[in-house]
This record gives sequence, C-alpha cells and structure tokens, in this order.
Amino acid sequence: MTPFRRHLRQTLTIARRDFTATVFTPIFLLFLFAPVIMLSFSLIGGLGAANATRGTAAKQRLVLLLPVDDVRAVMAADARQRSLRDDDRAPPRLIPHPVTGDAAQEARAMLEGRGAIGGLSVAAVLHGPLDRPVVTYAAGDRDGARYLAGLARDAALVRRAGAPALAEPVLERIVTAAPSAGGRDASAFGAVFGIFFLTLFLSGQVVGTMAEERNNKVIEVLAAAVPLESVFLGKLLGMFGVAVLFVAFWGTLVSQAGAFLPGDIGAGLRQLSPAVGAGPFALLFAAYFATAYLLLGSIFLGVGAQASTMREIQMLSLPVTIVQVAMFALASAGASDPDGWLAIATQLFPLSSPYAMAGRAAALPALWPHALALLWQLVWVAIFITVGARLFRRGVLQSGSARPAWRRLFARGGTQ
Amino acid sequence: MSSHPSAVVADGLVKRFGDRRVVDGVDLVVPRGAIYGVLGPNGAGKTTTLRMLLGIIEPDEGERILLGARHPRDAGDRVGYLPEERGLYPAMKAREAIAFMGALRGLDWATGRARAAEMLEAAGLGHAADEKIRKLSKGMAQLVQLLGSVVHRPDLIVLDEPFSGLDPVNQERLEALILAERDRGATILFSTHVMAHAQRLCDRLAVIAGGRRRFEGTVDEARGLLPPQVRYVPHHADTALAGLLPADAARDGDGWRFQLPAEGIEGLLTRLIAAGYGIAGLAIERPGLHEAFVRIVGEAAAAATPAPATERAA
Repeated sequence: MTPFRRHLRQTLTIARRDFTATVFTPIFLLFLFAPVIMLSFSLIGGLGAANATRGTAAKQRLVLLLPVDDVRAVMAADARQRSLRDDDRAPPRLIPHPVTGDAAQEARAMLEGRGAIGGLSVAAVLHGPLDRPVVTYAAGDRDGARYLAGLARDAALVRRAGAPALAEPVLERIVTAAPSAGGRDASAFGAVFGIFFLTLFLSGQVVGTMAEERNNKVIEVLAAAVPLESVFLGKLLGMFGVAVLFVAFWGTLVSQAGAFLPGDIGAGLRQLSPAVGAGPFALLFAAYFATAYLLLGSIFLGVGAQASTMREIQMLSLPVTIVQVAMFALASAGASDPDGWLAIATQLFPLSSPYAMAGRAAALPALWPHALALLWQLVWVAIFITVGARLFRRGVLQSGSARPAWRRLFARGGTQ
Repeated sequence: MSSHPSAVVADGLVKRFGDRRVVDGVDLVVPRGAIYGVLGPNGAGKTTTLRMLLGIIEPDEGERILLGARHPRDAGDRVGYLPEERGLYPAMKAREAIAFMGALRGLDWATGRARAAEMLEAAGLGHAADEKIRKLSKGMAQLVQLLGSVVHRPDLIVLDEPFSGLDPVNQERLEALILAERDRGATILFSTHVMAHAQRLCDRLAVIAGGRRRFEGTVDEARGLLPPQVRYVPHHADTALAGLLPADAARDGDGWRFQLPAEGIEGLLTRLIAAGYGIAGLAIERPGLHEAFVRIVGEAAAAATPAPATERAA
C-alpha cells in the first residue's frame, strides 16, 4: 500500500469514528433541531415586537387641527394613501379636532399630553390652513409627521387642480428573467452572509474534538498508529460530514418550504440572480462553504488541541470567532464592488477568501478565478492542519506535562 | 526491508526535554521472535524510549529501525502498541473499540469485528462484547485495549507497563497472551519495573536507568552478575559463630546468609562442624532478577551521584 493510500485510509478511519460518535447520539438530535428552538424564540420575539408595535400604533393618533373643509380634504387624501399601504405598515389613524384658539399652542399642548384625547397619545398635529400647513410632532414620531405633511400636500394639490376624482393606479406585478444589478448585489451579500452564518454555527464544534482524545488518553494510541496530520484531517472531515448532514437536512426542508412562501417573497427570492448562473452558483456556494468550514475548522482544531480544559477552549476560541466576524464584515463591504481593492484583498486573504469569492460569484460571471481560489484555500487548509499538528506534537505529545505552545509564549524562561 | 535480522534496532537514541537528557544514548537490538523486556525504575526513560521507537516522538539524536523500516511509520501496520496511559473512547462498545484499533493499523472493519468477537470470547469477555467501555471495569477495559493492540496480528508488539493495574488473574491471562503471540511468531517488546514478569517471560532484557542502558543480555546473564548466596542454619548459635562465617554474613531468620566464597564452601563447612555448630539447614541459591536489577540500578545511581567528601585525618 502506498503511503498516500495508507494515510487516506487512516484519515477516513478517524473521520468515520468522529462522524458516527457525533451523529449516533441523542445529543445530535438536539443539535439538529437547534434551529427550531432558535426560530421559535425568534418567532416569539418577533410576535412580541410586532404586538408591541401594533399596540403602540393603536394607541397613537395623528391630529388634524384644521377647519372642517380642510379636514374633509385631508381625510380624503388619507383614504387614498392608506389603501396603498400594507396593514402592518399603516400610519396611526387620523383624528380631527376643532380649532378653539391658537392652533400652534394647542398642538404643543396635545403633544405634551395635556388635553390628551380619550387616553390616546398624539404623535403629530397638522394645523394651519392647507395653503400654509404646519406639522408639529414629538421627537421620535417623524414618520407620522411626514405622513401628515404628505397628506397636506396631496389635499392641497387636489384642491388646486379641482379634480378630486383621481384615477386609481393599478399595481401590476411581473417576474423578470434578466438579472438585475440589485438582484446581483443581494445575491452577493446573501452568499457572504450564508457562508458566514453556516460556518459560525457549525465550525465551532471542531474546537473541542482533540480535547476528547487528550482527556481519554486515546491520543497516544492514535499518535502511535497514525500521523498527527491524518488525525487532524480525519477529525476535521468527520465534523465536516456532520455539518454537511445538518445543512442537507435543513437545506431540503427550506427548499420545500419555499413553495409555501407568499408569492411576493418567492418571487423576490427568484430575483436573486447570481452572475455565474444559478447552477454554477449553487456548486460554488457549496465549495466555498466547504473551504470556509475547513479553513476555520482547521484553526479551531489547532487552537483547541492546545487546550486541555473547556475553560481554555472557550478562551482560545473567542479570538478566532472575532477574526471570523471581521472577515465577514470585510467581505460584505467588498461584495458590492468585487473588483475594488477591498474586495480583491479579501478574496486573496485566506480566511476571508471563501466569503469574498462567493460574493464575487454572485457579481461577476467569470469562472476561472474560482478554480484558483479554491486551490489557494485548500493550500491554506493544509498549512493550518500541518502547523496545528506540529504545535500539538511539540507542545503536548513530547511530555505528558508539557505546556502547550501558547502557554510557553508567556513563560518566563525554563522549559518543560 | 522486512528481512532485517532484528525486529528493533535503536542506535544512540537521545531525547532532551528542555535541558534534561531524559534518554541519553540508548542502544537496543531486539531479535525477531523474542520477548524482550525493558526494565528500569520510575523515570528511567523507558516510556520515552518506546515512544521514540514507535515514532510518536522524534529523537534528538540517534537512529532506529523498526521491522527493517528506517521510519517507524513505514512499519506502522505491522506494529501493535499498548501505551502506559490506557485510553479508549468511553462511548464505544468493546467489539467496536477493538475493530477501530485494528482499522487504524490497516485491518478492515468487518474482519476486525469478527476477530474482536473471537478474542473477547477467548479472553473470557464474550459477555462484554456489546458493552460500552465506560461500563467495563478498569481491568476489563485494559484487556480490551490489549486485544485491540494485537487484533491485526502484528509482527511487533510493544507493551508499556502492561501489567500495571491488573489483578493477579488478569496478569496471568496477559502472560499467556504474550506467550501465545510469541508462539504465533510475533516479537514482543515490553517495559516493566516488576521483575517477576520479566524473569518468567523475557528471552533478553535491557536495564535502563538515568536515561542510559546499564545492562543488556539474557535473564541468566543478569542474574549471573551476582555470586550465588548461601543460607546456612546451625544446630545452635552463639557469639563465636559469627567469627567463623565470612565477613558479609548477615542474620536471616534462624540462620545466616552470605555470598558463596570464591574458594568454595567445603572448608567453611568442615570448620563449622568441627566447632560443633553442625548443619541444620544449607541452601545455595542463585540471586533473582530482582537482586540483579537492584544492584544494576544501585550502581547506576551511585555513579550518577557525586561521591561525598572524604574526612581528612588530622
């Protein structure tokens, strides 16, 4: 058997052990359905926020402190405008109020809560005649004030034109086949975010896998039989298999759920039009997810191998996560301009390269840079694994009590 | 490569941890098919030597040849190893654990599982084949690991302190297993500081102390380092008896013990009988490996310790 085949076989043996040890446990079900828990909490939070918003809107009013004729004109404008808005984006309802004195002072008193109308709060007050309208509003209720200003302008225009019966516009929805610039930008950002989210969610699992071997003393058996590089790669591939299983499960569910989405959302998703085409983009997305996972996972693995307790693992993995977030931020910034200097830099830098190249696939049609990028990223996976294995061999295996490399950096002389 | 006459050759192995030379130029030659013991006190460098031989760590100096291969990895599939610090995955079943260890050494899983079941049955652990490791006793888990280290039928088996932690029954089982593996044609290299096992099992042995090899040879050659001991029991004893015995004689229960004099024992016995002490008991004993080991290690320790300053006469 050639050394390559032997190493491959050993790597796959380690990967198989880690995969089965992770997947065939009850805990894995908890992990697999964690998004349900996350979505449930998001849903509950969203509903709570929506209720709070609706509750606030229901208690707010926009007051028309106008002569009767003006009130009628503004109410008619409100009827026209309100019909174009979704219910959940509707502004507070209008309430007319007779003018009894100085309108400006009265408006201020209403906004300050004095003379509140039936326990309702006042967001903004439109006063003055329609040819010289004034909107007074409380800080934080700018949207309501703008809506009132728009109504005043609309009502004044209608009055000036003398044609109150305007033609009702027809909303006609079509789905375009041609990719739009907006669709490409959205695809680019979606790709960057998608890979970031998946790797952030999944690659952190790798960090503690070497600690298991260290705590169980199995590492001595593995290290005697298998090169450490194969141990590291095997563990990485095993956990990558778990991640693929997770993504495949949820990807299938989400793709089927698309059929049940409201028409507008489904059509909006179809407008996400990557420049390389949907099929190649899906393949490139999968490839960049794989390299992003392997790159980050190899760092997590190398870092985690130096730690012997969960406390150390958490301390060491936090900086890696922060770096990952920084890479996402840079890649996102470059996504809309894939030939700009920032985008090129993030495409070249190994840790941000998968994110940035996924964004590039959405924005530019050329395929050959992706072949180079994938090769480049895999080279760095190999480098990270090799460095991680060497640090582990030197820091941990040479002596049972040897201090890991990161600790020796801070030691004041003397070696173990 | 595999036609190399020795299973293991170590030539001047050196390992430093910081400024300390934990292994300081160890040479070993382990013949094929032999049971070879590496003996030494705690901290002598036995485990580090074995780890270097197996390629777990690299020596700072020296060379090693394992089953004819210049690098231990190249012979990896023909080697079995039981480390001093036992380790198995607690959630694995016993049969799977053995098959996994075989798979690491190139045995396919199906064959590994089948052999594991047979070996567990033969070792009296058939009932535990589908038990998770975490449910086994320490001794049972240790046996499972030992079976895992030989499931692929290796040519060389390296066992680091294999008897530690085992009860006498399991120690006997392990001795039987080692002999069976030798009969199969495997070479066994094991470390221990328990002399009884080494004396019963080893064809050859090396004693390591202070990171250096202090002795290499057969058990008989090790025991031959010390002269035979005489145990003499008189019919009666008084203060004058000590004057007739050799200078190194020391009380041993109801008798005396001393080294067999170079000129033989006949003249001494004649004098004792003539003085009326008679012979109630007499035995000439060869020293055990334990005594030889203590002497070798003691000499090594004395050599390593600076001699105390002598008192100068006024």
